[in-house]
Amino acid sequence: MKNKVKEKIYPGWMCVPALGIYTLFYIVPIAAAFFFSFTDWNMDRMNAPKFAGLRNFINLFGDEVFLRSAGNTMLFAVMTTVLKLAVGLALALLVVQKFKGNGFFRTLFYLPCVLSCMIIGLLFTGILKMDGLLNNALRAVGMESMICDWLGKYGTAMFWIIFIEVWMWAGFNMFLFISGLQSIPAELYESAQMDGASAWERFVKITLPMLAPSFTVVTTLNITGGLKVFDLVYALTGGGPGFDTQVLSTYAYRAFGLGLLGKSSASSMVLSVGVVAVTFAMNRFLRSKEVEA
Amino acid sequence: MKAKKRSGRMAFILCLAVAPIFFIPILMMILGSFKTQGEALRMDLSLPEKFMLDNYRHVIETGNILRGYKNSLIITVAAVALVIVLGSMAGIVISRRNDKKVNGVYYYFIFGLTATMQLVTTYFLLLKLHMLESYLGVIMVFTAINLPFAVMTFASFVTGIPREIDEAAIIDGCSTLQMFFKVLIPIMKPAVITNLIIAAISVWNNFQVPLYLMSSSSRTTIPMMVYNFYGLYARDWQYVFAAIMFTILPIVVLYLCLQKYIVEGMTAGAVKG
Repeated sequence: MKNKVKEKIYPGWMCVPALGIYTLFYIVPIAAAFFFSFTDWNMDRMNAPKFAGLRNFINLFGDEVFLRSAGNTMLFAVMTTVLKLAVGLALALLVVQKFKGNGFFRTLFYLPCVLSCMIIGLLFTGILKMDGLLNNALRAVGMESMICDWLGKYGTAMFWIIFIEVWMWAGFNMFLFISGLQSIPAELYESAQMDGASAWERFVKITLPMLAPSFTVVTTLNITGGLKVFDLVYALTGGGPGFDTQVLSTYAYRAFGLGLLGKSSASSMVLSVGVVAVTFAMNRFLRSKEVEA
Repeated sequence: MKAKKRSGRMAFILCLAVAPIFFIPILMMILGSFKTQGEALRMDLSLPEKFMLDNYRHVIETGNILRGYKNSLIITVAAVALVIVLGSMAGIVISRRNDKKVNGVYYYFIFGLTATMQLVTTYFLLLKLHMLESYLGVIMVFTAINLPFAVMTFASFVTGIPREIDEAAIIDGCSTLQMFFKVLIPIMKPAVITNLIIAAISVWNNFQVPLYLMSSSSRTTIPMMVYNFYGLYARDWQYVFAAIMFTILPIVVLYLCLQKYIVEGMTAGAVKG
């Protein structure tokens, strides 16, 4: 087809509404945040920010709370990714077996991820608070020494935030693995079985390598999702006790609430750069593994 | 054969062992939503002594839940419709023209998939445009963040549809818009459904955007409404549970009815994203 005709059948203006909305409400804020992160922009001088060079970033990296938030964010992203992979794969291996009721279990395991994070955070507050379901259950079975304020201490609070994120997304990861598992040809298993390979050997030598493409997708998705975590932390601890469970998104929100707009933009810029860097690095690393496998 | 049966039984038992972790929180909420204040505060899995349907009435009357529903519906429907209509138009044109100019546009959209939304500056943008605390502002923001994925999926789906179909429609006298919406969109139903589900669930559940852009407004969406409600009634768990029940019921019902589409849609979304 000639270009002229093409331009007539598929006129460029049809891209314009999408381009316009996307640019104005998504790209402009990103560009502005980039720009303002180099200024002393704040609530008092909203319309006259002054150029401040790298001061925001230098201040951030000298701020203990920020470093702590960055550390928590990384801990959260890595731990949840590892656990979601492990639990998701385990559940997938269970429900691909043929037994009555596996459809029901798939439905149940998947359910949490269609619910709102905020709602799930509230629900688990009811379980984990001092007089919540968990402590009551511990008391009922006589394990009173275990009772504690689960969300009131750094270690246990962080543990539960990670647990709940995994609880939410395990079923979703399970389905990603199910489609990967179903694409492995059955003959591979049959011939391995004839050669006398044990179940474990078949898992390590056939299942895992054949799942490599699924691992790429799932890992990248979970890591970037984990870095952006906000709702769960906000609902469960609000970043507390103190600033112990603060993550980058809640840190940025707090700076926004205090009117420190340049600082808030700078910290969320650090987060976006981190997300992009991790996405690229993971994709490269995992794709190269795929080829080897 | 025997080994298969045995592994099936093992899997069943293990699933049964894991299942309580998934349904206990939900069971606690359902039971709690029918209890009296004293019973609900005890936080256990006992049956309520008498089913307090009044909790639900109280939540409807004081919690602005219906208002939140209306707001969430308006915002979700408008944003999802815009995402699908504008995203498919852009995606089709990009993929069909396939020249240097539109390829640049394509990568410009793809950038949005790895970028992170900047809410502070979005707040000030809406402030300057006088769109804070308004439906329109939030709808535009939700549309913008969901467009990259829509453009990508539509563009990649169209490549599988032969061009001859477009040409035949044009020769038969269709205008471009008619050809798009009467001929191509029906063929692209799977891509439409994927986008519909992903965009609808993410907009309906989103908390961060309304928190920054319309936290105390009466136009805010249902997760924000419930959060504000919780702030007021933190000691009345029976009401909190009832409010949560209201918000998740439509999603759960939709999920149970459309499970196949939802799971496929979200999985396809993840694999392509």
